[in-house]
Amino acid sequence: MIVGIGLFLPLFPFSVVLDRLLAVLAHPLPRVVLILGWPHAGILLAAQLDGPPPAWLAWWSVTTGLVYGFRMLTMRDLNRWVSFLGTSQWTLLWVELIAGVDATTLHTHALAFSLPLALASLECTALDRRFGAAYSHVYGGLASVLPRLSAVFAVTVLAAVATPLWAGFLVLLHILLAAPSTWAMATVLLSSLLWSWAGVRVLQGLLVGPVEDGEPVNDLSRSVTVAALFALAALMAGGLLLTGDLA
Amino acid sequence: MSALDLVLLLPTLPLVSALSMLLLSRQWGRAVVRISTTAAAAAVAVAAVLMWLKLSGREGVVAIDGSWGSLLVDPLGLLMAAVIAVISFVVRVYSVRYMIEEPGYVRFFVLLDLMVAALFVMVLAGDLVTLLVAWHVIGIALYFLLGHDMRSVAAHRYGFWTFLTYRLGDLPLVLAAVLLHRAFDSWSLPTIFRLVREQPEMTTVGGLPLVEVVGLLVALAAFARSAQILLHTWLPYTMEGPTPVSVLMHAGIVNAGGFVINRFAPVFVYTDWVLHLVFVVGLVTALTGSVLMLTQNDVKKQLGYSTMGQMGFMTMQCGVGAFTLAIYHLIAHGLFKGTLFLGSGGVIKEARDHDGVPKDSMYTFVIEKQPQSPRYARIVMAMSTILVPLAVLGIVHVAVAPDVFEQQGAVVLLFFGWVTGAQLLLTAYRLPTRRPVHLVSVIVLSFTAVVVFYTLISHAFAEFLYPKGFQAQLYEAARIEASTLAVLIAVAAVVALAAVAVSGWAGLRDRNPERQSRANLQRQWRATGYGVLMRELYLAELYVASNRGLLAVSARLNTWLRWG
Repeated sequence: MIVGIGLFLPLFPFSVVLDRLLAVLAHPLPRVVLILGWPHAGILLAAQLDGPPPAWLAWWSVTTGLVYGFRMLTMRDLNRWVSFLGTSQWTLLWVELIAGVDATTLHTHALAFSLPLALASLECTALDRRFGAAYSHVYGGLASVLPRLSAVFAVTVLAAVATPLWAGFLVLLHILLAAPSTWAMATVLLSSLLWSWAGVRVLQGLLVGPVEDGEPVNDLSRSVTVAALFALAALMAGGLLLTGDLA
Repeated sequence: MSALDLVLLLPTLPLVSALSMLLLSRQWGRAVVRISTTAAAAAVAVAAVLMWLKLSGREGVVAIDGSWGSLLVDPLGLLMAAVIAVISFVVRVYSVRYMIEEPGYVRFFVLLDLMVAALFVMVLAGDLVTLLVAWHVIGIALYFLLGHDMRSVAAHRYGFWTFLTYRLGDLPLVLAAVLLHRAFDSWSLPTIFRLVREQPEMTTVGGLPLVEVVGLLVALAAFARSAQILLHTWLPYTMEGPTPVSVLMHAGIVNAGGFVINRFAPVFVYTDWVLHLVFVVGLVTALTGSVLMLTQNDVKKQLGYSTMGQMGFMTMQCGVGAFTLAIYHLIAHGLFKGTLFLGSGGVIKEARDHDGVPKDSMYTFVIEKQPQSPRYARIVMAMSTILVPLAVLGIVHVAVAPDVFEQQGAVVLLFFGWVTGAQLLLTAYRLPTRRPVHLVSVIVLSFTAVVVFYTLISHAFAEFLYPKGFQAQLYEAARIEASTLAVLIAVAAVVALAAVAVSGWAGLRDRNPERQSRANLQRQWRATGYGVLMRELYLAELYVASNRGLLAVSARLNTWLRWG
């Protein structure tokens, strides 16, 4: 049972399955479905356990989070970057699981991590269609060429790496409050530092730099941009409403 | 709605301004930034009204319904909010014309408004979560402001250094907040401070004293934010950003370290050794910043290291328990450094328009750093250099605040004031002038005026910021045993005398022609030392190499685990 849960709330090396699946799926729809649904399967499985999982699993989970956070630093393939970030974040839900947090809260927290990742995955598709691949540090200077897509991508990355006031940050605080020791807290915090670091590296490798010569590409339409920004604002508001109670 | 609810306007005004500019920029074009300047002016007015309310005796907590999201209307928050309101108003007015030709003009003002809103929330935060949110958002907004020019890879590279240092500094503050919440089951700062006062002996993880652990974590967060030694490299390199951002950063954001130490003063007052650590870090930062400033030939880097030195001094003030003086220092430094940055563009233009600075004695003194030969008897210079500042400091403090000599921390600061005064006089003796007596008199009078003002304002700040007697408690918390202090002073004196003796000996040997080869060797050593200082102790290179090493390990790991 623990292995099954470890597959969906990914613990290394079981996390490999999710990463392979996300790498294989080319169409955005199944990718988004997978990102949104994967951790919930783990939470549903965990509900079948008689009691909370053993405490030593917390160490395994925070170490998995740290390893995947560290790997994100040099991952240029943005689809795999999203997959690594998801693994690094969803695995931390073990800490709350072990602390006895109820299933409904866990589902909410999993969604708080997943929704920005799903949006990021869609934006990777937008990049893929325009440039043939969604890679950072390959074609730079997008901020000057595609200002709308760049703005939406930058805000999505901020939401995905648990920047306040998006729900990821508040969930991170919940996880820290549930952490079994100061070392576990420090490891979780280091993971969050690595997410930010990797996020800024992606933004720099994609948006910054002089405009490169090449075929002209279309930016996002105004309506899609407004819709995406509205979705991100709604994510923030919804997150505050659903995960904001830290009492 | 009570009068105190006005405080909500301070962060709301810039937020609404940012949102309005985003929505109206298509219709209004660049004129939309008038919304920002109007909001800034309104924020100054609100800050003034709130300050007046505070002086009328009103303060409290304005809370949004929930476990967090409250603003604290207290003297420290209001004072800092007033400073931010004024400086950010000046910065926005300045930016209207300064940034007019830059691409992303409206985006710049939107980010500026977001930054100002976050700064207001940080200084007024009434609970730990609100403080963390604002603390974190400031780092992000600063990264985007420093990298405003999206085509400049260099601006983003140095913005990234700032961002990473700030994120490093976020971690200890988050940890401190979680430990405090676990101990007292509350995020509210007034509640936590009350409980700390009632149970200062509370322990945390590993049975360690809670106040010591939290104090250390808060100090670490402050060190990162205020560019203390080893966490300072981002500061001198962030000049690639627009000048208004430099103003906001050097005059406001970098002061956050001093603010947060003051905010947690009710915790620090019960600590045992943390303030000593703060003092040492501040002292080393002040010395390193000042030395590095003197060895740089890039004016902007000099300004950066000057700020580092000032931040070190501010931290040092906290370390001796002079918390209120640190607040005065950060305000004064913010105002003068902001003025320097705002004027720097004009100075550069003037230098470009009128090249050919005359190579007179003032040029060699200021630019080439070659002092004039002394015109007075050395004994007169030595005696007056030592005695005049000592007399000024002693007389002023006896007249204005006689109890200051009872506080060890205040005496330590007076020592540094004395050294500063002596240095000032020593410089004055070497300035080229036709009326030396007049010049020295003016400098002594200015020094006296500064000391009088400094003493009065520190007294006023102590009365305004903290309850009666609290400042004395802080001095007491920073006090060390008299015997230990005596040993430290003796060691410092021996080191100073040894340095003088060695340099004198080296000078004598230099003049001996038979020892020319050794003299050459000494010159080489001096050149090497100067080179190391000019290269800023090679810390930037060390960090870049560490960064590359970490990235190489990450890439290797990805290669090994390429299957998943």
